[in-house]
Amino acid sequence: MLLANAARYLAKRGKGVVALDFDFEAPGLHYKFDEVRELAGGVVPYLIATAEGSTSAPPFDDHMISVPVSTAAGGWVRLMPAGPAPGRRYWAALKELGERLRLTDLSGRGFMALLDLQARIADELRPDYLLIDARTGVTELGGLATTVLADTVVCMFVANQESLDGTLAVVEALKSTPRLTIQEPIRVVPVLSRTTKVLSTDPRFWPGISRLLALAEGCERPSINMPWALPYDDELGPIEKLIGIGRHDRESPLRDAYLKLFQELFPGT
Amino acid sequence: MDTDTLNTLVTGAIWRAEELESRRISSAAAWAEVSSLEEELATAHPVSAGQGRIARRGAVRAALKSGDYKRAYSLADRYLGEDGAPESLKTGLREILEEYTQPIAGRFPYASTHHTLREAQGLADHLRAVGAFGLAA
Repeated sequence: MLLANAARYLAKRGKGVVALDFDFEAPGLHYKFDEVRELAGGVVPYLIATAEGSTSAPPFDDHMISVPVSTAAGGWVRLMPAGPAPGRRYWAALKELGERLRLTDLSGRGFMALLDLQARIADELRPDYLLIDARTGVTELGGLATTVLADTVVCMFVANQESLDGTLAVVEALKSTPRLTIQEPIRVVPVLSRTTKVLSTDPRFWPGISRLLALAEGCERPSINMPWALPYDDELGPIEKLIGIGRHDRESPLRDAYLKLFQELFPGT
Repeated sequence: MDTDTLNTLVTGAIWRAEELESRRISSAAAWAEVSSLEEELATAHPVSAGQGRIARRGAVRAALKSGDYKRAYSLADRYLGEDGAPESLKTGLREILEEYTQPIAGRFPYASTHHTLREAQGLADHLRAVGAFGLAA
């Protein structure tokens, strides 16, 4: 939901946004936009078509959807879903992608296919922001979406030791992964989601939080003692609905938290 | 090992690799052997000698044909940085690398304007070594 809300937030402020669903194992970004129609294409079919490279790449219109955004500011959102999920065609395509896109192939073809998609989006669509929804957990493509394609990684976690330990491992890895020549050092923003008034009392939890914040900042002692937090909302949480992110929408603690987080993530908006 | 023996061995290794290649039998290991022998010859002959320059080009080309891009770049970097390496050798080495990498890079026109194939190959090598997120390092 954070990504969908961020996309709408940016579009309402006049920004152009491309949103990619890289959570191939649990594709669902297209559900987060109510107005989105079903599409035969998406990231998986696109990468299958371009895994070996191509002198004429498939049209973006076959693999992307323009999301209606009510704004006079001139912003826009184009969504590239994972594919025609959850139908059988999608799972067959995902299996084929695993066979075609060989990321450990030392010729570099696999990585060039991913970088080619990102570069083509930048060159042809010229969005102000490219938002990528990556898989929770450790997968090759999830790892690449964060370590290779991203400038800023928002690490969502919840208030239990399992989630914190997993996030710590990933953030440590992110900070030590080599970057491409044209990239700045990666920025990591931990976000505690679905918080309630009662947080973890596990004695290991708060030192772990401190360690996570220090890692994210790249220093021994973090400058803050609490990560960004998105509170659980009784009304919006269970139905995972987009929150009103415009200036005149209903106020709520969750909405306020989103707005503060987005102002941090997207300075100048 | 004396250079006469090395020359005999590399000649045989090249013949074998080319024969395997012409019969569409996997030749990567054979070309790796050629590259290794050419590297030894390059060590035995200075860069100022004709045989030394031939061996240097041969080592890089054979590494590429074996699919070991990392080794090819490493050898090329070493030979390009050698004291006394003539411009003709440097140009030749760069042309060999370009000959093998351009067909791949050319199929990814958007990525090629922002990144080098060598970077992408480095990422692939890194992923192979340490897994997703580098967690297996």
